[in-house]
Amino acid sequence: MKKLSVFLAGLLLAGITLVQAQTVRITGTVTSSEDGMPMPGVSVVVKGTTIGATTNVDGKYELAVPANAQTLTFSFVGFKTQDVAIAGRSVVDVVMQSEAVEMKEVVVTALGITREKKSLGYSVQEVKGDEVNQVKSSNFLTQLSGRVAGVQIKSNTNFGGSNNILIRGATSLTGNNQALFVVDGVPIDNSIPNNSGQISGRNGYDYGNAASDINPDDIESISVLKGAAATALYGSRAANGVILITTKKGKATKGPQVRFSSTYSISSIDKSTFPEYQKEYGGGYGKYYYSDPADGHPGLEYYADVDGDGNIDFTVPFYEDASRGEKFDPTLMVFQWDALYPESPNYLKATPWIAAKNGPETFFNNGIMNTHSIEVSGGDNNTTYRLNYTFFDQTGIMPNSHLNKNNISFVGSHNIFKNFKVTSSANYIKTSGKGRPSTGYSDNILSSFRQWYQVNVDIQQQKDMYELTHKNITWNPVAYDDLAPAYWDNPYWVRYQNYETDGRSRLIGYVQFDWEILSGLKAMGRYAIDTYSELQEERKAVGSSSGEFGVGRPDVTSGYSRLNRDLTETNVDFMLNYRKKFGLFDFSALLGSNIRRNKVDYVYASTNNGLSVPGVYALSNTVDPMDLPQESLTKIGINGIFGSVSLGALDTYFIEATLRRDKSSTLPSSNNTYLYPSVSGSVLFSNIVKQDWLSMGKLRLNYAEVGSSAPALSVKDVYLANSPFSGNAMATVPNTKLNSNLKPERQKALEAGLEMRFFNSRFGFDLAAYRNENVDQLMPVSISFATGFSGKWVNAGKIENKGIELALNGTPVRTQNFSWDIVLNWAKNENKVVELYTDEAGNKVTNLQLAGLQGGVSINATVGQPYGTIQGTDFVYTNGKKTVNPENGRYYKSSANNIVIGDVNPDWNAGLRNTLNYKNISLSFLIDMQKGGDVFSLDLWYGMGTGLYKETAGLNDLGNPKRDPIVWVDPTDHSKGYAPNSGGVIEDGVLPDGTSNWVRRNQENYAAIGWAQDPNKRFVYDASFIKLRELTISYRLPKALVNKLSLAEASISLVGSNLWIIHKNLPYADPEASQAAGNIQGWQSGVMPATRNFGVTLNLQF
Amino acid sequence: MRKILLLVIVLPFVLLGCSDNFEDFNTDKKNPASVPPEALFSNAQKDLADFFSNTNVNINIYKLMAQYWTETTYIDEANYDLVNRNISANIFSNMYLRVLTDLKEAKRILENTEVLPALEKEKQNKIQIVELLSIYAWQHLVDIFGAVPYSEALNPDNVYPKYDAGADIYNDLFTRLDAALSKLDRTAGSFGAADLYYGGNVDAWIKFGNSLKVKMAITIADYDNTKAKSAIEAAYPNAFSSNDDNCLMPYLTTSPNYNPLYADLIASGRHDFVPANTIVDVMNSLNDPRRAAYFTEYGGTYVGGTYGYSNSYSQYSHIADPIQAPDFPGILMTYSEICFYLAEAAERGYSVGMTAEQWYNEGITASFDFWNVSGVAAYLAQPDVAYSTAPGNWRQKIGIQSWIANYLCGDVAYNNWRRLDYPILNLPEFVDNYSDIPVRFTFPINEQNLNKVNYDAASTMIGGDAVQTKVFWDIY
Repeated sequence: MKKLSVFLAGLLLAGITLVQAQTVRITGTVTSSEDGMPMPGVSVVVKGTTIGATTNVDGKYELAVPANAQTLTFSFVGFKTQDVAIAGRSVVDVVMQSEAVEMKEVVVTALGITREKKSLGYSVQEVKGDEVNQVKSSNFLTQLSGRVAGVQIKSNTNFGGSNNILIRGATSLTGNNQALFVVDGVPIDNSIPNNSGQISGRNGYDYGNAASDINPDDIESISVLKGAAATALYGSRAANGVILITTKKGKATKGPQVRFSSTYSISSIDKSTFPEYQKEYGGGYGKYYYSDPADGHPGLEYYADVDGDGNIDFTVPFYEDASRGEKFDPTLMVFQWDALYPESPNYLKATPWIAAKNGPETFFNNGIMNTHSIEVSGGDNNTTYRLNYTFFDQTGIMPNSHLNKNNISFVGSHNIFKNFKVTSSANYIKTSGKGRPSTGYSDNILSSFRQWYQVNVDIQQQKDMYELTHKNITWNPVAYDDLAPAYWDNPYWVRYQNYETDGRSRLIGYVQFDWEILSGLKAMGRYAIDTYSELQEERKAVGSSSGEFGVGRPDVTSGYSRLNRDLTETNVDFMLNYRKKFGLFDFSALLGSNIRRNKVDYVYASTNNGLSVPGVYALSNTVDPMDLPQESLTKIGINGIFGSVSLGALDTYFIEATLRRDKSSTLPSSNNTYLYPSVSGSVLFSNIVKQDWLSMGKLRLNYAEVGSSAPALSVKDVYLANSPFSGNAMATVPNTKLNSNLKPERQKALEAGLEMRFFNSRFGFDLAAYRNENVDQLMPVSISFATGFSGKWVNAGKIENKGIELALNGTPVRTQNFSWDIVLNWAKNENKVVELYTDEAGNKVTNLQLAGLQGGVSINATVGQPYGTIQGTDFVYTNGKKTVNPENGRYYKSSANNIVIGDVNPDWNAGLRNTLNYKNISLSFLIDMQKGGDVFSLDLWYGMGTGLYKETAGLNDLGNPKRDPIVWVDPTDHSKGYAPNSGGVIEDGVLPDGTSNWVRRNQENYAAIGWAQDPNKRFVYDASFIKLRELTISYRLPKALVNKLSLAEASISLVGSNLWIIHKNLPYADPEASQAAGNIQGWQSGVMPATRNFGVTLNLQF
Repeated sequence: MRKILLLVIVLPFVLLGCSDNFEDFNTDKKNPASVPPEALFSNAQKDLADFFSNTNVNINIYKLMAQYWTETTYIDEANYDLVNRNISANIFSNMYLRVLTDLKEAKRILENTEVLPALEKEKQNKIQIVELLSIYAWQHLVDIFGAVPYSEALNPDNVYPKYDAGADIYNDLFTRLDAALSKLDRTAGSFGAADLYYGGNVDAWIKFGNSLKVKMAITIADYDNTKAKSAIEAAYPNAFSSNDDNCLMPYLTTSPNYNPLYADLIASGRHDFVPANTIVDVMNSLNDPRRAAYFTEYGGTYVGGTYGYSNSYSQYSHIADPIQAPDFPGILMTYSEICFYLAEAAERGYSVGMTAEQWYNEGITASFDFWNVSGVAAYLAQPDVAYSTAPGNWRQKIGIQSWIANYLCGDVAYNNWRRLDYPILNLPEFVDNYSDIPVRFTFPINEQNLNKVNYDAASTMIGGDAVQTKVFWDIY
């Protein structure tokens, strides 16, 4: 790749080298202003002609120019093009000025301090705002995926859903591993407000992460601070890395600048992430319904006289949510669900037994997104301002789903005195959601479509019946004479009656002063607040099927719940910054304090045992007296002081040390203060070994420790109250034992890096290697239930993350009209749980279960394994091959269900971005890749068992229907083998004696494959993928036209996201899909299909 | 002026840094730091009753183990799959985390509470009642697993509690039971209304304690006949003497205090269970009038689903409606149950006041009474029921009739089946041999991770952590 680029670059340079007949000979030397060294390869052209030459390795050129030539043009990538008058000279020497931005690159580091990138001893990677706001979505984090090495962003497919964002792997065993977001110095809450049942795979909704409130249109740039040395000044919450966002500010301009941007896009289902159904067998679990086999349709029920004509009728086993029933036969007339409801056109009519014309894939519609943004900014030397309003509105691919956001922000600053500036910012965000898709195992339409369904059911017919009646006319009633829903409701009923609504009203703002007390001595003070109030309301309409709902999650057939959550975080920062140059030394020092207060007030309440009056969604409309609401009030306070000293010498050697001391309210008061240091250094070796081709070379090394404190309320034991029984108070001891001897946990991080740029920064790379150790983890370690507790807060455990990150960039081609830029980010993180808990006697806990999930699998931290192992039942192996039971052709499965059968962590992630510019047209695309990582598919575990997928039907190796019965030549003598008309399949594997398996497995009922008999391991898939994440084509309107329209600038873009999953190994679903962000990954149930998005964006600047 | 202005602007930032009271931040404002022991006791009573009453396939599958019921579509548990749903861990969780911890805490608080001398007896009674209920729970744990953490259990400071041999636990439970009974004082009160089972009636608890002693003793009769004999002979005169003494949980009609059976069968909207052919066929053959109380009719007769095979819900008898009422009582121990123990005791040659036949008849009669079914005299007269003529030895006769009488109490039936080897159960679809039917539950899988050394020692001690390993009292 690199070689190719160099070659291409060379070719290009050679191409414009022209030698012509001359009349005047001009020579000269071209040197660089940066280091005074000669510059090879500089193009020298006689202005207005094609006559030109390039400089040789000594920076010298020789050129024959026409006698009338006036001016020479010198150009080189990364340097300012210069026109130099010949003025009769025969020797024209030129000093090329580098383009300032390239060399004086500054980045935003911790606490918003801008630093020259070259002086940093740690890794910081920047992303420009327009990279994340070109493609619009409800969560800008999605657009960050693949753009930063070492940042793993998992965008799940839930409409408005949360993104899991891990920087350099998971570091905390049970805590929050999500990166910290800081906007203009203000830490932004990034709660994932989903309830615990939802996160561990029961039903619920993914309410997205709170950081998605950040408006991408406000983003000027994003700095990702990956290692502890970079984040050490943030103290306790820095262990997970920091995403630092700098917003756009006003600039001194003539008059106000007005920008307008508008995007309209359409999303549609990506069918490669949705099931393909078999079309041969209908509803039922097997051939055991009809007790008189003489009539030959044992997959149907035959006991009811549906139409009252005195004859027994064939009926579908309505209550069975599976498709292993009777074989379709258009001549067989069956009373199906549509024969049971008087409103139905087929009421009391038998219809042909055939596969549905319209399957569940027709349930999805196109989603539409509109977002419009208007910005006014400006200012003068004393005052700047920026005002932005963004409107966002989106409908999803599920019926009746809607997201809406209004975001208004204002930032202004004014120099009260010459050296004293006051800045104030306020950002108000109002978001609302309606009809988010349900997630998880139960009461989720997608888990019906993927796991529990009858392929004879026509979804459009279900739609018609709902629209006609607005009643829960389901395909899944209990029986022909009992129309209560058995397991599943009419999906349209669910979408239009059982929807959730949610909203969040949020204010983020700060006031800040910057005071330059003396030259080099600056003071900064900032008071920042992030406060919101959030409401989630969930509904279950009277007449729905029974399911877990509300506080305590009892099964109910209707209900209403509401969750109110108010959060306020304030940060008061005060900082003194001193900077001075002493000869060849550059000294700076920082002293600061941070006072953080965080308060979360939460109430969750629901009706009990149903709604009294249908359609009234109020707590007071409860059937039984309300159960106790869940209520919590948590407060966290942290007082920190910090300082740093840095020293640069000769503009080449840099060293920096920081120290922070935190006092945390969540630890026992005797032990709540902790100190942690960091030290980093770098050498700009390109200043020592000067080479022409080497534009920049830097080696860096750092070590840091970060302390972190416990979650609120982990110190003092309490009791929990339960609902009173006949007036008697009820109380219980909680399952987790708290601990009054906790101490802070600690991350120790070591990082080394090498950054180099070549050929005037046309190519470059940044390589980082790191090792992080998180020790003394604060966690509720799992303990034997026999202790009377399931968990106990301890300081224990150690996680190690080591990895390599590589960011490569290059410009293989750059001419006046055409350029091609490539950025490649690649990162590999190896995570290992080194230790969990060892008691005084040396006994060791070797496994910590993070979640036990449906299907009998669990997600765990296991000693010696990466964080996030999938455990469950495995195959039984004979000589390394899967062993088949010779009795029935099924796989044997391990008797234990705690065998490690997968690892959720990817081997590596990469993002490759190409940008091609030709004149006013720009094309860019981003390819996002993940290698490895495992996922257990509950969808296939059940869905294969219930016979939904196309693989469960069709023909076997003998050319007979798989689901036909197994037939022996001689049933009493199996040695004669199978009859040529035998059904069943032969699983790949060996018999217990090690010989290749030849025994057929019956495929007639639900024990054919999947949950009933197979080991979990069979449904663990590799989560690798290659995705075309983004594709953008932009056209900047020519200046002339733009001016005619009285505009300053105008562009129109076609944008696409998630257009194509180029490769994946997980069938019928997006490997990134999950129930939500958080520590429970690697398990899919009822996941939404991926959506492809196409849109058009218009940008206007007045 | 300028300096003052600067100060005015800067000062608030500094002042805002004043420290709050961090200790206060660490105090939970929404949950109590102390509670009355009664609240813990009531809660434990409900949790215990919930555990034995429910038919949640994750927790309590004893109604399947006893083959009273079978499953319709999802037949994993009827086929003894204990692993998929971590049933053993859920039993540990319910007994240790919920019942025993709350009882222990209630006892601790009671013991540490100073009371007026006049109330000392009442306090003692409370402590002993807590003790009786704990013993009841412990016995169940031993019976299911054979050995469990006991002497080192319920102490979060010792996160690796060792397992004690079942026989040792039984010995200690007998000692504790005798001590508790000796300290209960009829002249004083106890928990009052906070006692959901007996309303604080100390007499009733004394009967409960003696009945529990009979139950524990008969359970180990094959293992330690001498001890069983002396214990039963001492206890039976003070044990339950009618259905009025039954230990029942009076569930309410409303959530969350209704019978969990209602939650599992009705509120869930599911149709996962039908009566099993195992019991329905036997009761059909005996023309047992209790069928009407136990099951619904299907097509004018009683039809049980084939045990451990897929069964279409609509084509079998269902569980009788009164059982599915929200306030159907939770059953912890009944007079009928004790009668059958005493019949068995008589057969074993213990002196229990009446003959085996008399106790057998009394047990059946009490069961009819309990279910409010008439016709017991005619039933007892049937040759296949009458003690003298019913088929088989005493183990078979008592085994069959106690099984029918203890309907819903799958845990009791499962114990009796293991001790008496009757009734003969059916083999479910995926189980090939009768000897593969579990005779104990395997230890929770998470014990292999969380308490490995002791888990390994316990496995060795009992002869292997397998479902075929018999618990110590299961000699035959």
